[in-house]
Amino acid sequence: MTEWRAERQARDARIQAGRAHADGKVVPAGSVIDLLEAVLRPGDRVCLEGDNQKQADCLARGLAACDPGKIHDLHMVQSGIVLPEHLDVFETGIAKRLDYSYSGPQGARIAKMLYGGQIQLGAVHTYLELFARYFVDLTPHVALIAGVSADRDGNLYTGPNTEDTPTVVEATAFKNGVVIAQVNQIVDTVPRVDIPGDRIDFVVEADTPFYVEPLFTRDPAAMTETQILIAMMAIKGIYAEYGIRRLNHGIGFGTAAIELLLPTYGEKLGLKGQICTHWALNPHPTLIPAIESGWVKQVHCFGSEVGMDRYIRARPDIFFTGADGSLRSNRAFCQTAGLYACDMFIGATLQIDLMGHSSTITQSRVAGFGGAPNMGSDPHGRRHPSDAWMKAGREGQIVGDPALMRGRKLVVQLVETFGEKLVPTFVETLDALELAKKIGLELAPVMIYADDVTHIVTEEGIANLLLCRDADEREQAIRGVAGYTDVGRGRDRAKVEELRARGVIRRPEDLGIEPLDADRALLAAKSIKELVHWSGGLYEPPAKFRNW
Amino acid sequence: MAGVRPASTDPDALSWYEATARQRVVALADPGTFQEFLPPTERRMSPHLPLFDLPRAFDDGIVVGRAALDGKTVLVAAQEGRFMGGAFGEIHGAKLVGLLRAALTLKPAAVLILFDTGGVRLQEANAGETAIAETMRAIIDVRAAGIPVIGLIGGRAGCYGGGGLIAGTCSRLAASEGGRISVSGPEVIETNKGAEEFDSRDRALVWRTMGGKHRRLIGGADAFCADSVSAFRKAALDLIGRAPAFDLATLEAEQARLESRLARFGDCRDATDVWARLGVNDPEAVPAMDTRAFDETVSRVREADHDAR
Repeated sequence: MTEWRAERQARDARIQAGRAHADGKVVPAGSVIDLLEAVLRPGDRVCLEGDNQKQADCLARGLAACDPGKIHDLHMVQSGIVLPEHLDVFETGIAKRLDYSYSGPQGARIAKMLYGGQIQLGAVHTYLELFARYFVDLTPHVALIAGVSADRDGNLYTGPNTEDTPTVVEATAFKNGVVIAQVNQIVDTVPRVDIPGDRIDFVVEADTPFYVEPLFTRDPAAMTETQILIAMMAIKGIYAEYGIRRLNHGIGFGTAAIELLLPTYGEKLGLKGQICTHWALNPHPTLIPAIESGWVKQVHCFGSEVGMDRYIRARPDIFFTGADGSLRSNRAFCQTAGLYACDMFIGATLQIDLMGHSSTITQSRVAGFGGAPNMGSDPHGRRHPSDAWMKAGREGQIVGDPALMRGRKLVVQLVETFGEKLVPTFVETLDALELAKKIGLELAPVMIYADDVTHIVTEEGIANLLLCRDADEREQAIRGVAGYTDVGRGRDRAKVEELRARGVIRRPEDLGIEPLDADRALLAAKSIKELVHWSGGLYEPPAKFRNW
Repeated sequence: MAGVRPASTDPDALSWYEATARQRVVALADPGTFQEFLPPTERRMSPHLPLFDLPRAFDDGIVVGRAALDGKTVLVAAQEGRFMGGAFGEIHGAKLVGLLRAALTLKPAAVLILFDTGGVRLQEANAGETAIAETMRAIIDVRAAGIPVIGLIGGRAGCYGGGGLIAGTCSRLAASEGGRISVSGPEVIETNKGAEEFDSRDRALVWRTMGGKHRRLIGGADAFCADSVSAFRKAALDLIGRAPAFDLATLEAEQARLESRLARFGDCRDATDVWARLGVNDPEAVPAMDTRAFDETVSRVREADHDAR
């Protein structure tokens, strides 16, 4: 006879074992290890919640301290490898397999462990892709998540940093999994119910509030005139030309400079209301001057940002907020919004090759992708037109029936020709290919494939790849904006001039931009303190960003 | 669209923190009066940096010259914090020492030093250390000749290492909120004593401990300026007018002031503890205060103004 309820029975057994360490659903922080050893089974798929922002750090410490004799060979399926504990578990044998998406600060260590064979890597995913697999073939047996507060029934307030939690809980709780939440405090009544209590099995009152990385704060004081020049070119040569209203920005200084130029340079160009009105974006502090100057209609967020909570509460017309007044973010929905409802993604990268493939993975660092490959791709499932999308489609169409033409999402790479420590951004071959060979990956970790990229902007100019008609033109267009890198110096001068005459390459002077005008005086805010002033004192920057 | 250039010489609009050394000097002086000695065209560059494959600057990171300030002649030196953190090398130091010695014969109304430095340039350690000592000696001679030496501190690199020592020998100092004065920098302290003692990445802590507001409240700086060139100009003019005499009484008063400061605040764990003992009502509010509110707070602190030096 077929057993149809084996998973459900296993779940009941796990929960019963865990109850021994709980008072109802509530578990004291000191009993985390006991709880985890009772609930987990060797070989389990486990989602230890952590992304590029919030971290279930108390549960991570607990998991890392479990006895590898009892808990071993786990298969970690999680967005972020960010905390040291996320990798410690692979060193002790508690975990063996990994499917993940982002690993900023641990990028160097993860590379070493991949080379050393301590981690069996499934794949480096995009956020949306990993979320999708939670519902198909990577469904967690146990999810370890983080919230701000919970009541004794498990009703959870995830607050401004809701991020991945609803998705992780959905996949786990409705498929016979166990959900354990760490919260900063147990309360009688939560400010709002982000996750209903019947989806939460255990609540751990953490010893310290969960950690959040201020990943999206860019200090205007560190912005260079080169970045300002690139931002001016992007605004005039792309945002204005295509009339980009709905968009997503990456986290680099280049896009932060664009945000700070909207109320000054953008205003001078008369673009207010014409561009940058609707956003899929984290609450970047550098967007405050544009919001306060009336440029921005609304912003949906993947997560929150440290210090922005009071400002967001005071601007519910702009942000998505709950009945309690605080931000409601949701990574899965915002990624979907960025994919299907934005006409442009613009962001930075570490390496671009001769065809326009790009990656943030170098031989010594495996940083992962996060959302960039989704944001930075042309979604073939899109079926609604917009002026920007249709214009890009017309530019890119070479053959075929115009009546069947579809639009194109603009995917813009905004880079300086030389990156940090004067490492060239433009390369003949991506390091990612070498890495794939070394550790035997079937698929090279490319962040954005060349066929998705429409424009590359550097301090030397804009290359419009939509207008390139063959591979040779494309290569020369890229070389033509690659400056003094080896790739740039290897250009065919005559061909580059021809591309320039056709408007495929545009220099600052072709756009009517005087490079000497790229002055820091153009920034709507030149320091974090000026951002605080713009916010009317509502933005509360973390100590590491204050110089007062 | 080569339109109007951003205001890079308007003293009201120009941020001291943002400006280059040359922009500061030109905008600080009466319009059109700054004359540079040994300008970049003279190519007086470091003889040491090529040994380390490091780029040199035509002025070795310091601008020196003569200018008028409110009609009176002053000598001015301005460090360029963007070149090697404004660090003292051999040529850099020699230009400053030479300027100070010239003051003995030129008899200006004052010498202004626009500090923006992390201290001695490590690649030129001995020459740089010597330059610090020679500069302090030269300042003493200038002050003894009755010429005030005024330090202006509000640049990105702050005033650290030997720069902090030199600042201690000046007649008067003006600082802005962004300006920092200390000898050991935050990273140096953290490296030697650990992050528990001093977390250099906690920028609020760094500015609370070394920044212009703290220095003003404890009397380390004699004027507090908003971050504009015109505010520094006003402060410089004011401080020239009230520089203390350089005599035994002044030195003894300074010794007594420093001893009592150590006795009174030596056990404080944080700058806010110091401010509380100074009688500041709401010490936690000091960092966020604007210039006007801060000036009012300073006016109620007795120790902030003194004639020691």
